Amino acid sequence: MTSFVILKRVAPLAAVVLAALAPRPAAAALKVVTTTEGLAAIAREIGGDRIQVESLSRGIQDPHFVDANPMLAVKLRNADLLVDVGLDLEIGWLPPLVNQSRNGEIQPGGPRRFTAASAVQVLDVPTGPVSRAEGDLHPGGNPHFMTDPRRVAQIAAALAGRLTALDGKNAGYYAQRRDAFVKALDAARARWEAQLAPVKGAKIFTRHRTMTYFFDWSGLAGDGELEPRPGVPPPPAHLADLVQIAKRDRVKAISVENFYDTKSADVVSRYSGAKVVLIPGDVGGEPGLDTYEKYLDVVVRRIVGAIQ
Amino acid sequence: MARLLLLPDISAIGSFAGAYSNYDIANQSPRTGPFGPKDKPTPLFEEVELGLQSVIDPYARADIFISFTPDGVDVEEAYLTTLNLPAGLQLKAGKFFSPFGRLNQQHPHVWDFIDAPLAMQRLLADEKLSGPGADVAWLAPLPWFAELHLAGQGTNPSPSQPSDGASSERLTAVARLLQYFPIGDATTLGVGFSAARRSEATGAFRDLGGADLYLRWRPLYSRSYVTLQGEVFARRFSGSMSGELTDALPVLAGELGQGTDWGGYAQLFWRQDAYFGYGVRYDDAPTGPRYGAVGVPEGMEQRYSAIANWYPSEFQRIRLQAAYDRRPGGQDGVEFLLGLEFGIGAHGAHPF
Repeated sequence: MTSFVILKRVAPLAAVVLAALAPRPAAAALKVVTTTEGLAAIAREIGGDRIQVESLSRGIQDPHFVDANPMLAVKLRNADLLVDVGLDLEIGWLPPLVNQSRNGEIQPGGPRRFTAASAVQVLDVPTGPVSRAEGDLHPGGNPHFMTDPRRVAQIAAALAGRLTALDGKNAGYYAQRRDAFVKALDAARARWEAQLAPVKGAKIFTRHRTMTYFFDWSGLAGDGELEPRPGVPPPPAHLADLVQIAKRDRVKAISVENFYDTKSADVVSRYSGAKVVLIPGDVGGEPGLDTYEKYLDVVVRRIVGAIQ
Repeated sequence: MARLLLLPDISAIGSFAGAYSNYDIANQSPRTGPFGPKDKPTPLFEEVELGLQSVIDPYARADIFISFTPDGVDVEEAYLTTLNLPAGLQLKAGKFFSPFGRLNQQHPHVWDFIDAPLAMQRLLADEKLSGPGADVAWLAPLPWFAELHLAGQGTNPSPSQPSDGASSERLTAVARLLQYFPIGDATTLGVGFSAARRSEATGAFRDLGGADLYLRWRPLYSRSYVTLQGEVFARRFSGSMSGELTDALPVLAGELGQGTDWGGYAQLFWRQDAYFGYGVRYDDAPTGPRYGAVGVPEGMEQRYSAIANWYPSEFQRIRLQAAYDRRPGGQDGVEFLLGLEFGIGAHGAHPF
């Protein structure tokens, strides 16, 4: 009975609000919501002023541990396209938000969901049985592929395709921006590869297994992670092992995303001489890094700088 | 893997406790949470919760939680949720925790403390206000999160409490308005108001009211956060019954003239990092013979609790909770709980 009374009171208010907001103007920009700032930056490169882009997380956040804040579901409610990384990177927070949003088309596999991982060749796919005894593994493979500009170009191309499918009248615009972005990225890549050439084959440590794709592209090599297994904190014995490995293999750098603390890295650094390199975790990970190019520029420069 | 084989996500969460108290909780502070006999350290099996979760089809998803406890097996929740109804609507149908307050909708393994606040158990439901029915939730098209729930459920809130109509599921109407407001980048404020009316017998009702507040502060770059959370609950039996019914249901008849009972809790929790968390809680709940307390005069019971948590990984939690309980008539006592929880399998992420 109480329910009916409340419903009666609310219905007129609901009608007014809905009427005000229901019809979407035909010329409105496509609302693109991404899970990370890196994906938002790529979407901006392709969509230009024909789309409105918003990222659910910020570049200074660890993308594994974003809060499933209902405020984010509000952003998803009217999303014309949700762009996520995939491979369970956002498993701890995105699914309840998508469910809360009532936006059925952005569910996994939906017409308004673009999962970036679907556009790239995935590495570190576990073979054989997967168990949490191996730590917090991503059963579908490593989701940290944004450190490889070749894969980012593939994502940009696939995203342009999806934007075109949703907004065909701007197909030419998206294609032109895609070409311009890929061209600029190719030029930047040539520059980065020149910077990387002198240190090719050098081995470094990372905090988490975040640099697999960077190694695949750059020719540097990972010689170990501070985490003995993904997501597992380093015990002293493991750090002692890393010190030995660092001395043996002349490891000169330990890259740590700036949302991690550097205590363990500092210990290994103190006893091995390898330098701790604090890098942004994504676009927006430091002030001023508002494009993909600026972000990777910093990553390449700092790592190369530490090795040389 | 499960998703490749069209299997639902399957998970199991085990909860165990060790309890010690220097007073007779069962009689002096009746509750359903974990406790043992006076002065005897007691190991307790609390629950294994089996979760089965999956989308059903493009239009809906299903969440099923089966609870194995020392009392037996119970379907804790089993409901369908629509994914794309128009106009911001979402329908939940099946058996589920009522959209009333904050803790009532969370599984105990999500709570910051090992046991439920006393006021929630005394005024809302022994375990959970829950039951079979349907809940329509409307997400208002506003720039902040504002969700209005209207639910109709058959509930059986307090089989152990003295209300004759309680022994069976009875129709209950529940309404809840939940809002979240961002305060800068790092802070979120959640405010909820809930109301419910349960038909107890012809002409007699149980009216429930509640307000809840949740303030969460977490710097974006950090795993660390602080939350301040509190709820108040109010309960009143209203209406009038025929003389015949009054004779048949004397306990309920006795409750009808008792006015409104109030209670609540407030808690502060600090998650230091990925591995440790600490909290304090203040409880204020009605007690006395009407709540089954033996030798305790009618009045308010206060409890002060503190908890320390260690999370060896995201899938284990070991905690120690200590509490000092003060009852009317100058009675007091201390309680200790040691809790162990673990989860295996793919368990869906919890809402905020």
